[in-house]
Amino acid sequence: MSVAHTGGACAVCYRAVARDRIPSMNVVVCVKQIPDPADPGSLDPQTKTLKRDGKLILDESDSYGVEMALQLVDTAGGGEVTLVSMAPNNEVSGLRTALAMGAAKAVLVSDDALAGTDALGTAKVLAKAIERAGDADLILAATESSDGYTGTVPEQIAELLNLPSVTFAKEIAIDGSTAKIQRQTEAGYDDVESPLPALVSVTAGVVEPRYPSFKGIMAAKSKPVDEVTLGDLGIDAGSVGWAGGGQEIVEVTAAEEREAGTIVEDDGEGFNKIVDYLAELKVI
Amino acid sequence: MYEWSEEQEMIRRAVRDFVDREIRPHREALEFGDLPPYDLLRKLFSTFGMDAMQRDSFKRRIERERAIEAGDAVAEKAEGPRDANSVAFTMIPIIELCRVCPGMVTAMGVSMGLTGAAIMGKGTIAQKERWALDLLTMDKVGAWAITEPNSGSDAFGSMMSTARRDGDEFVLNGSKTFITNGPHADTIVFICKLDEGNPPAERKIVQFVLDSGMPGLEQSKPLRKMGIHSSPTGQLFLDDVRVGMDRLLGESLDAYGGKSGREASKATFSMERAGVAAMALGIVDRCMELSIAYANDREQFGQPIGQFQLIQLKLAKMEVARMNLQNLVFRHIEMSAAGVGMSFAEASAAKLYAAQAATEVALEAVQLFGGNGYMAEYEVEQLARDAKVLQIYAGTDEIQISAVARSLLADQAGAT
Repeated sequence: MSVAHTGGACAVCYRAVARDRIPSMNVVVCVKQIPDPADPGSLDPQTKTLKRDGKLILDESDSYGVEMALQLVDTAGGGEVTLVSMAPNNEVSGLRTALAMGAAKAVLVSDDALAGTDALGTAKVLAKAIERAGDADLILAATESSDGYTGTVPEQIAELLNLPSVTFAKEIAIDGSTAKIQRQTEAGYDDVESPLPALVSVTAGVVEPRYPSFKGIMAAKSKPVDEVTLGDLGIDAGSVGWAGGGQEIVEVTAAEEREAGTIVEDDGEGFNKIVDYLAELKVI
Repeated sequence: MYEWSEEQEMIRRAVRDFVDREIRPHREALEFGDLPPYDLLRKLFSTFGMDAMQRDSFKRRIERERAIEAGDAVAEKAEGPRDANSVAFTMIPIIELCRVCPGMVTAMGVSMGLTGAAIMGKGTIAQKERWALDLLTMDKVGAWAITEPNSGSDAFGSMMSTARRDGDEFVLNGSKTFITNGPHADTIVFICKLDEGNPPAERKIVQFVLDSGMPGLEQSKPLRKMGIHSSPTGQLFLDDVRVGMDRLLGESLDAYGGKSGREASKATFSMERAGVAAMALGIVDRCMELSIAYANDREQFGQPIGQFQLIQLKLAKMEVARMNLQNLVFRHIEMSAAGVGMSFAEASAAKLYAAQAATEVALEAVQLFGGNGYMAEYEVEQLARDAKVLQIYAGTDEIQISAVARSLLADQAGAT
């Protein structure tokens, strides 16, 4: 937890007076701006990657992290939420949505040399953007994006920043300089603790993302978005993008169509067939 | 303005998402189960901070009015430029709600729009603080009572409800019908004639604010009606309801000199009529969306029905109506931003077109859906019943036609 200070030198005797300690919580949230899933566009046949030249929106997976960050800051009683994002063409539409929800500011990395950047390259860029965003007590990310689904970027960022990493968080509570996290598992959840600062990935659906208020939407336009290039972050263009990619998409094939289900004609004894089927699956 | 701005589009998306998630699941209960719409409307208001915005704007307005009263500020012209966004932010929820439950807009519009605006327009500062703020935030439900069993389009001429002086008090009597929110209203603006023993045609039109539960005031159960079931409609019966001067809007009979009572109601009608274009746009937009999907999906004679020219004609006409309605809404926003008020005749023309377009499109959507369209399970059935009211309330088509034509004839007469 960082401490924001108020008070200062006494105006009368010029001696330092006790500063009020106001707890505050600065949270950085990694957000991705993706093509609208309702209008998903197409793959580039040359690069076999998703075309991202149109309008992008905030990935719904990231709205849970934004909501959790806003709640943590509210609970702390001070501090702010900063967004970091990497997108082509200085696209800010998705960032504006998160700013309208209540985030204070954003760092946006946009550079032509970033085209074709793989997961590790993205992590390198976001790690630098997080450093640029300033002191963070906690960094949140979604477990995976809704368009790429690699699910590896958060842990790579943590490694690059030398931070502890916790995945699949369903609940986070801050206790002093420790984050107490309920980490989702197949059986339920584990209680884990991590010193701060830390990087935590948040499972989709664990909180109800707030709707941006009308006032929030109006305010979003004037909130600062720090638009930076690779040069601003001191990143060698050759280490990211197509040039620095450690992976290659060799082939893209359509997902297999789902097979038609089994239709059971009910002759009055249809329920027995369903019971047999469930028994076969060892469900009952 | 030819399209929504970036912020307006964000709000449109957010409100549509809210309506789909929070209101659409209750459509059955609202439209077929007598669920009152008020809690859902309050949720809409609080979610988007509309209640807080109303409180802020109310506070600023009251402070300004106090300064004017104290002589510290000069009263501005009523028609000043308005921020385009603030106008758009009132239109967008109307459009989006009308895609699901147009009745909810009627309930909301009458409560905060008609009733709240009547008190804000005519009331004293004390009356505004006592009644209007809670209506503007939807914390309380308002009803605006003008129509009577024997007075509809001829609202003032045939009005029978009366206020009679009795010492420092007034005694109110009369019956009102087709009163939106009547069954649930906490606050009622009651419009009647001041009976001073003079002939009815010469009586002043006066307005009083009543609270639910006052002795002599009876609010009926909701009336059964053709559509907009999510807007409860009822009757009000007043039997010797005694009120003080504090409940007379303006707290002085001097405020009702000449034709000012009629003019105030006319201004209210103008505002109401502009809102109908937004309602019609919501209905048409949803009917079109459903019709296009159905025309692509439904196959007859071995092909989607959208391939038949008679179906294409329906879709094309729907799009023409949608474009016209959207332009009317954009025009309203532009005019408000420019500080230009819509004339009574133009508001009437817009309302006439909007109501007819919505009804025609919704009925054509039912036709496009065929037998399915006639079933309650398909939304177009409800939207067609709902659209019809736009041709009847807030002034019938016939009244709008007369207002437009009279204005044209008067212009010609004035020019010669």
